[in-house]
Amino acid sequence: MSSEPAPKERIGAFLSGKPIDRVPCVPLILNHAARVLGVKVRQYATDGLVMGRANVAAWRRYGHDLITIFTDTAILAEALGTKLKYPEDDAARVDVPAVSAPADADRVPRVDARRAGRLPVYLEAVRHCVRDVGSEVFVACCYPAPFTVAATLRGTGQFARDLYKNPALAEALLEKCTVLVEDFADAVAEAGGIPALVDPVASGSVISRAAFERFALPGIRRGLARIKALGLPPILHICGRTSSIIDLMADSGAAVLSLDQIELAEAREKVGGRVCLMGNVRPAETLLNGTPDDVRREAAKCVADALGSPGGFILSSGCEVPLATQPENVLAMMEVARQSRLN
Amino acid sequence: MSRSEAGKPGGGAAAAPASRRAEILSGLAAAVDAMDEGAAVRLAHEALAAGIDAYEAVTEGLSRGMAVVSEKYDKGIYFVPEILVCADAMYAAIDVLRPHLKAEGGRGRAAVVIGVIEGDVHDIGKNIVRLMLEAAGFAMHDLGNDVAVERFVEKAREVGGGIVAASTLMSTTMWNMERLVQALRDAGLREKFRVMVGGGPLSASFARRIGADAYGANAMEAVRLASAWEEART
Repeated sequence: MSSEPAPKERIGAFLSGKPIDRVPCVPLILNHAARVLGVKVRQYATDGLVMGRANVAAWRRYGHDLITIFTDTAILAEALGTKLKYPEDDAARVDVPAVSAPADADRVPRVDARRAGRLPVYLEAVRHCVRDVGSEVFVACCYPAPFTVAATLRGTGQFARDLYKNPALAEALLEKCTVLVEDFADAVAEAGGIPALVDPVASGSVISRAAFERFALPGIRRGLARIKALGLPPILHICGRTSSIIDLMADSGAAVLSLDQIELAEAREKVGGRVCLMGNVRPAETLLNGTPDDVRREAAKCVADALGSPGGFILSSGCEVPLATQPENVLAMMEVARQSRLN
Repeated sequence: MSRSEAGKPGGGAAAAPASRRAEILSGLAAAVDAMDEGAAVRLAHEALAAGIDAYEAVTEGLSRGMAVVSEKYDKGIYFVPEILVCADAMYAAIDVLRPHLKAEGGRGRAAVVIGVIEGDVHDIGKNIVRLMLEAAGFAMHDLGNDVAVERFVEKAREVGGGIVAASTLMSTTMWNMERLVQALRDAGLREKFRVMVGGGPLSASFARRIGADAYGANAMEAVRLASAWEEART
């Protein structure tokens, strides 16, 4: 390991198209970082210093190529008024959506992305990581794209109905959410992090290609454009199935697509020439419930399918590394990347 | 449809010709599939006026439409928003038909205690399963989302027997289903209920491992399973 370049050097070279030593590896270590530090998720999710320390501890343990700050997909909607509940040792989730009635939409405020809700928790976590290990590794901050924020603001089921029954309301909410997504990108960059967008509700498992194109894509485009304007690499993660929308994802302005339920060979064939692919060891079946050998086998298959893709490839998990994943399984994935030499 | 033959509506509307009745029933199905709430409500009234049994309007009209919807969902033609809006059309029509269903008495299929297991609030899939089972004539007891194992057991005890259906979309909460099966056993209720589980990270092997009776990959599958159990029971 000591002879290897630092992850920051590797990722920096990789993103600027220079040759690197091996396949980069970014398992999505999110709430799992709390386990590495030995704290409960609620504490992790509400205390920026704890979140930062947990991610540094996880990075020291695993040596992954990018720190990814994240705890739940509701954090932006919360900043706009959605009430969450915080289980002691699991990610926060929606309790009461802010826009239960259409009339509530007008009362959604423009907030300060540096101060509202728990947004300062993410920013403090980013700052802590940058301070502590920022000379060795880049720090990304993953947060929801406008479609997922709007769904969490309105209640997912109701928002899904709005797409048909009240598209004007959906679009008005999306606009407010897009503004916050843009503002928060500025705040993350200011803290020294790389803003990265995740859009789980816009997944091909949830909405149609037509709905994605009309309602989700414009907000993703604007968010990623802001990230690009900040001089940072636009990264987009959509979990679930993405086969039906991957060409649109590749046209969104993203430089890196983080993928879940799609064959990497298919992704490579469809969009590998335009974007870097990132994925996709199965989180539950393999990382949580499999053995280190299962992880090695599946990671090796990902590498075999995607290595040499013209836009590049980053070995990753399809979605969040589950909380209770055995560290041996994360290390097994890192080991496959270290053995996948490029030069 | 032996029940509806046995229970022809007496008095009120004179029965319309068979062709007209068939037209209304297929219209109900089409209205659900087309997400057309207005048409669904109008046709529900027309069905009653034409002397169609309310139960038949549900099973031969609305739920056939919902079956088409579910098929389109499985094929990736419809997605969650389409399912919900189709379901809204179905429910609007059911609201018109419901008082007439009550007059006909219970439909006699098993009770189903359904909910999203504790720790998870993703209830869209559960709602679709509930809807399809309801349309298929099961007596639904929907406990909502983030349902504690104890509440499942409590409701199961109250209902006495039938089916317990639990879902989750999260790998972190799926093991609570194992606790649910164990809790039913501990309460001496396991023999009285079939247990089906469903949701994204689950599988048939997971269902076997935790001691559930079956895994339903989707709403159609849940209805098939429940109906097969129902036939075995009666």
